Amino acid sequence: MRFYLSTLAGHRRGVLILLGWSMLEGVPAFFGGKLVGTAVDQGFGAGDPQAGVLWLLAFAALAVAGALGQRQVFARLGSVVEPMRDALVTQVVKGVLNDPTHRRTPDASAVAMITRHVEVVRDATAGVLVQARALLVTTVAALIGLATTAAALIWLVVLPIIAALVLFGLMLPSLAKRQRDAVMADERTAEASGAVLTGLRDVAACTASDEAYEDIATQIDQQARASVVVAWANSLRATVIAIGGFAPIVLLVAFAPPLVASGQLTKGAVLAAVVYLTNSVNPALHGLARTTSTVVMRLMVALKRLQEAAPEKTQETGRETPSNGEFVLKDVTFGWSPDAEPVVRGLSLGLKPGDHLAVVGPSGIGKSTMASLLTGLMPPDFGCVLFGGAPVDLVDPAVRHHAIALIPQETYLFTGTVRENLTLLAPWATDEDLTEAVKKVGAKPLLDRLGGLDAPLGHAGEGLSAGEAQLLALARVYVTSASVVILDEATSHLDPAAEARVERAFARRDGILVVIAHRLSSALRANRVLVMDGGKPLLGTHEHLLQTSPLYGQLMLAWDPTRHEETPLPRR
Amino acid sequence: MAKPGDTLLFSTVRRDFRPWLLLLNAAVATTGGLLLPTALAGAVDMALSGKFVLVTVLWLLLLAATEIVGDAIGIVLAASITARATAWLRKRLSRHLLALGHPSRFAAGDAVSRLTGDCGNAGGIVVTLLALTVTAVSSVGAVVALALLDWRLAAVFAVSVPLAMFLVRSHMQLTADDVLAYQQVSGEISARLLDAVAGRHTIAAAGIADRESERVLQPLPRLAAAGAGMWRTQAKMMWRAGLLLPAVELAVLVAAGFGILEGRLTTGDVLAALGYTALGMGIVGQMPQLTVLERTRASATRIAEVLDTPVPPRPELLPSTGIELRNVSVDGALHDVSLTIPGGAFAAVVGSSGAGKSTLAAVLGGLSAVDNGTVAREGAVGYAFERPALLGTTIGRSIGYGTAADDAQVRDAAVAAQVHDVLIRLPQGYDTPLADAPLSGGEAQRIGLARAIVRDPEVLVLDDATASLDTVTEAKVDAALTTALPGRTRVVVTHRPATAARADVVVWLEKGRLRGTGTHQELWDHEDYRAVFTGGE
Repeated sequence: MRFYLSTLAGHRRGVLILLGWSMLEGVPAFFGGKLVGTAVDQGFGAGDPQAGVLWLLAFAALAVAGALGQRQVFARLGSVVEPMRDALVTQVVKGVLNDPTHRRTPDASAVAMITRHVEVVRDATAGVLVQARALLVTTVAALIGLATTAAALIWLVVLPIIAALVLFGLMLPSLAKRQRDAVMADERTAEASGAVLTGLRDVAACTASDEAYEDIATQIDQQARASVVVAWANSLRATVIAIGGFAPIVLLVAFAPPLVASGQLTKGAVLAAVVYLTNSVNPALHGLARTTSTVVMRLMVALKRLQEAAPEKTQETGRETPSNGEFVLKDVTFGWSPDAEPVVRGLSLGLKPGDHLAVVGPSGIGKSTMASLLTGLMPPDFGCVLFGGAPVDLVDPAVRHHAIALIPQETYLFTGTVRENLTLLAPWATDEDLTEAVKKVGAKPLLDRLGGLDAPLGHAGEGLSAGEAQLLALARVYVTSASVVILDEATSHLDPAAEARVERAFARRDGILVVIAHRLSSALRANRVLVMDGGKPLLGTHEHLLQTSPLYGQLMLAWDPTRHEETPLPRR
Repeated sequence: MAKPGDTLLFSTVRRDFRPWLLLLNAAVATTGGLLLPTALAGAVDMALSGKFVLVTVLWLLLLAATEIVGDAIGIVLAASITARATAWLRKRLSRHLLALGHPSRFAAGDAVSRLTGDCGNAGGIVVTLLALTVTAVSSVGAVVALALLDWRLAAVFAVSVPLAMFLVRSHMQLTADDVLAYQQVSGEISARLLDAVAGRHTIAAAGIADRESERVLQPLPRLAAAGAGMWRTQAKMMWRAGLLLPAVELAVLVAAGFGILEGRLTTGDVLAALGYTALGMGIVGQMPQLTVLERTRASATRIAEVLDTPVPPRPELLPSTGIELRNVSVDGALHDVSLTIPGGAFAAVVGSSGAGKSTLAAVLGGLSAVDNGTVAREGAVGYAFERPALLGTTIGRSIGYGTAADDAQVRDAAVAAQVHDVLIRLPQGYDTPLADAPLSGGEAQRIGLARAIVRDPEVLVLDDATASLDTVTEAKVDAALTTALPGRTRVVVTHRPATAARADVVVWLEKGRLRGTGTHQELWDHEDYRAVFTGGE
């Protein structure tokens, strides 16, 4: 909300220009009733049609001026609303991509939701600017106009309107609360049905379609009730505004007769007063009521949701400079929450340039945590991860990101040329560097098939297989100057031969290689192996682990048929 | 042109008496609204005559009150009708989606959007139809009222109507290009954001979030340009519309002015003429309602599409001890599978990914229907999955989901599944709302196991249900299952050789076909069988 207001304030000039044109737009509201009244008083009513037509033409000229003002208002609206939307989108995108936790990482539907909410903010801002402004300009102009024509009756007109506005203002908090409740009920319905419909398999497995139906139906009914409750509030609001708008007209005609009879009011003045009320003030009042109760609420909800999707970005800090390229892990413990079972427990490990470590263990046990700890994305709960003698999460980000490269399982490919994709982490790389790297990881046939470095790629590597996408991601890191490379199941979609080629290529590159293994064969190529199985981590060479760890033996047994004879399979 | 959803909309309208109330209310309010300008004209004339006539003022008050009260009732009634219709459609739809069961023809996201979005749209049918009717009646009534005042007024007004229609039309054509461009660019940015979100690990590790934000936002200037274009069009439209109403008003006013001059009309009648002009022009503002009506029909068609999908017949269960499959085929997943699992046996189902293991598990327990062949099985089945979807309001309820199990039974099941210690450490223990419980994959798996145990089934099907547990916990769960549910038939889909080794019989699937059965020891001599566990090396 604060961001939203400050963005709008940043376009103060645009808003002021908008208000300037609004003045012009308000001109017909100011003079309209007066001119119609005069046309009757001095023209048609006085037997002078020429004067009457002329006064009405003056009314028409003002209407043209007003329409011109309105046109400018809408044309200018773009220069306030569009930059505001640009700023909002920019903030949301940066917020999403900078979110260090990734706990609320949006999926496809959430991205669609972000887009929808941004559009709501855009439309609602325009709506508020149009409506609130129109209300302000029109009401004030009309009331001034009214005061100049029928000064004697001005209090009869103003008091009911003020009373209605005050009452409406008092109703706003409860109206807003009911609206919010309705929105929440709406979301709960979506949540409940979403949970059941994504879990249809489990509903069937539990033969629980009755309970599932009841859960959804409860939310549906609550939502229906909430929307009726909002309708009652809206109905009350509409009544207050309608009475506030209509009472002046009735009071006017009721109190006018003696004034007309005594000559204090002309026919035209009475006519003008009623025209002011019916054509200007009333529509503006209704507009206000509609805007506040629907548009503003929608705006608030959308802004709140956007803020949740994209929290304020946090700046990476860290000034330490590593003294060398070595990793030292001392008694590292890490868990996802203080209560949760730690994923890594008491791990101590040293890695020197030339080291090649494989991390193995059952899937889902949290091997990727190692990648997050080594890249400094997450500090350990206990112990320390030192890179060149400094805690890795406190190392100057510029240094850290250049020295340590991670290739995750999910490949990041974007729309652009192959070259743009390959130079993502090394913008300085020449075409020769790129081609060399592509050859090293075995992606040359792929590059040729795509049509060279200038070939375009679609969204998310459209048209490439998952394995081909991984090859490009591997080449992209190969070309960097990173001295530590972490492959986090980065070869999961390659066949074993291609995987072996990639790992050997990276092992021959100077520096540290950490392979979070998808296949156990990765362990054979490494000079050290870390076994993660939820308990205390096991570390050692392949041979050492085979002798000391039953789990490792079991894992290897499945892979290595030659050990079939010596170590019998565990029996039930 | 009739759409499949129209029948559904018709039955939505017909099932309730309230639409008739709304119609009645609208009729009264519209009549009041149509009489109001005349009453106002009379009241102004009275004021101008300098004489206070109570009846005239009361008549004005009565009509105004009718309109205001009518509007107020209309708002509540309309909301109530829409809410009821929406709820009715949503319940029917969710009932049917549940009956269609697993696997569903409709993707979860799609189904949710039908349930929340489309039902909401279709539920508004009564209000949309009535709004269109009322506007049409008001407009026609306004023209008739103008004609009653002075036929010249109506004639002047009638000339402006085609003009108005033309304007609205040209607006739609003008905006179409910019709207399309805007949507395309907006979609482009979304797609780029999705790319970047998918690559968030790369971006975070390389610290290039800001640079990648720039990349995502590259098309933003085009979005702003298209948006500005929309506002310019809007401005043109407002300019025309802003001229149209005064132009019509001016024409009517001039005609009315001459009416005063010639004594046909009073000063008050000028007001009435203005009032009816505004009322008559109301139909122009309601043109978007036609778009709404189309959207309503499209939504109803999407709902009808689900409701018209027949519920697949559930074949009656053939009794058997153990499980017997005869020539079972499931389109695209299983081909001609026949096998027997003796009662009380522990069977492991293995195969590389995509071999049809989960489909076989679903068929074995009657979770999904078969296209061909027969399934014979003893009694009730308990299922546990690799990624269970936990349902129900609280953690405790998610274990007892779909059963009448009491707290003690739920607790026992949680103990057996080795998850009791986790659950009692949650903020509100077993009563913690599901949404507030932070659960790891392994914890969710064990709750899923407890959910299967609490049903005390004769057959237990574990579809990779211990994949996220470390070997120690898995062994504990295994032992607890044997204690809690002794002598039950157990079918376990697994990737772990150790689990397969413990099984009495291994069912080996390959590309949807049964490749072999036997003990793990027997099958191990097959190179292809070993490849299942090692990834083909």
